Amino acid sequence: MLRSQLRRQSDTTASGAIAARVQSMVVFSVAGKRLAARTEEIGGVLPWPGTMPVPSDTPFVTSLVRHEESCLPVFDLAAKFKCSVREEESLCLIVKHVDGPLAICIDARVPSMHVVPRSEVQYQSGLDPDIAGSCVAGDEQLPLINLATLGVASPRPA
Amino acid sequence: MSLRGQRVVTISSGQAVRFLVTLMGGSSVAFPAQWVRGIVLPASAGPDGRATWAGMEYERTDLFTRLKLKSEGLSPDTRLILYGNEERSRSFAVDKVLGLLDVERALIRPLPPQFRGKERERILGFFVAPSSVALIANPFWVLDLPHRLHALEMFAIRIAEGMSGENDSRLHLPVAGLDEPVEPCELSVEGHHAT
Repeated sequence: MLRSQLRRQSDTTASGAIAARVQSMVVFSVAGKRLAARTEEIGGVLPWPGTMPVPSDTPFVTSLVRHEESCLPVFDLAAKFKCSVREEESLCLIVKHVDGPLAICIDARVPSMHVVPRSEVQYQSGLDPDIAGSCVAGDEQLPLINLATLGVASPRPA
Repeated sequence: MSLRGQRVVTISSGQAVRFLVTLMGGSSVAFPAQWVRGIVLPASAGPDGRATWAGMEYERTDLFTRLKLKSEGLSPDTRLILYGNEERSRSFAVDKVLGLLDVERALIRPLPPQFRGKERERILGFFVAPSSVALIANPFWVLDLPHRLHALEMFAIRIAEGMSGENDSRLHLPVAGLDEPVEPCELSVEGHHAT
């Protein structure tokens, strides 16, 4: 019994050690721009439902999409990168945002999951608070985007 | 004339808010209906933009510009909404009047917190209608009145008892479906008539 307990403890420690050494990432693209994001910040991927515009002053948050019984705000990541996405050929990435679920319109190419060694993730604080740094996923060097806090650093109204 | 395609909206709880739902620049915009004093043709306004109705003058406000929406231009569907309370009144144009809708209070959602700009003063929230999402214009902002917290609460009506949250004249109009067309209509408000 003690031996099995020890084995379990050792397995847990081993999986914890592996988890500490790797980071699960999702790679997707917005208007052709490839991006990586931490898997735990993503709530799902759906067909793009089409937007309902909201006359908004908040940078890049200018519409709603219908989701289940309600609506989600949309963060226009393409506009942030000064490009545009063809909505009719898009997917909806649901983000677990700190302020509540958020939708992002991404390219129709289905996002891929990657397990990235932490040594391949470089965190750096640059000019853009929405970009955490970069990582290497599937042989690509990609910007790592902070989905959970997207837009939070943009100016708040007085 | 009357609103066409009338239907009963199921209310499962006691409280609802009655909205006049309009189209503005392709967006559905809803206004608490208790302050709607009339719906008139654009030609009813004078050269200075003011509309006079039942001895009351309605100064024009350009809600398209204020809401940063683009009007679809003057069309046979364009209407002027006469809107006011005992303190202030305004008239404003909409591209089309869709109808009246009673929306259960619980189905009215606030604007998500990701909207962090001045839009929070202009739009109180939204509700999901069968074929669209309607944004709720803040009636206090529409009339340039000081903002109030929980502004919608004063417009809540108890459907079962036919009681309103405030002592105000109420529209005597049947409830119409959102997705059904509306003919040019006549509104009858206690003591007033508008064509």
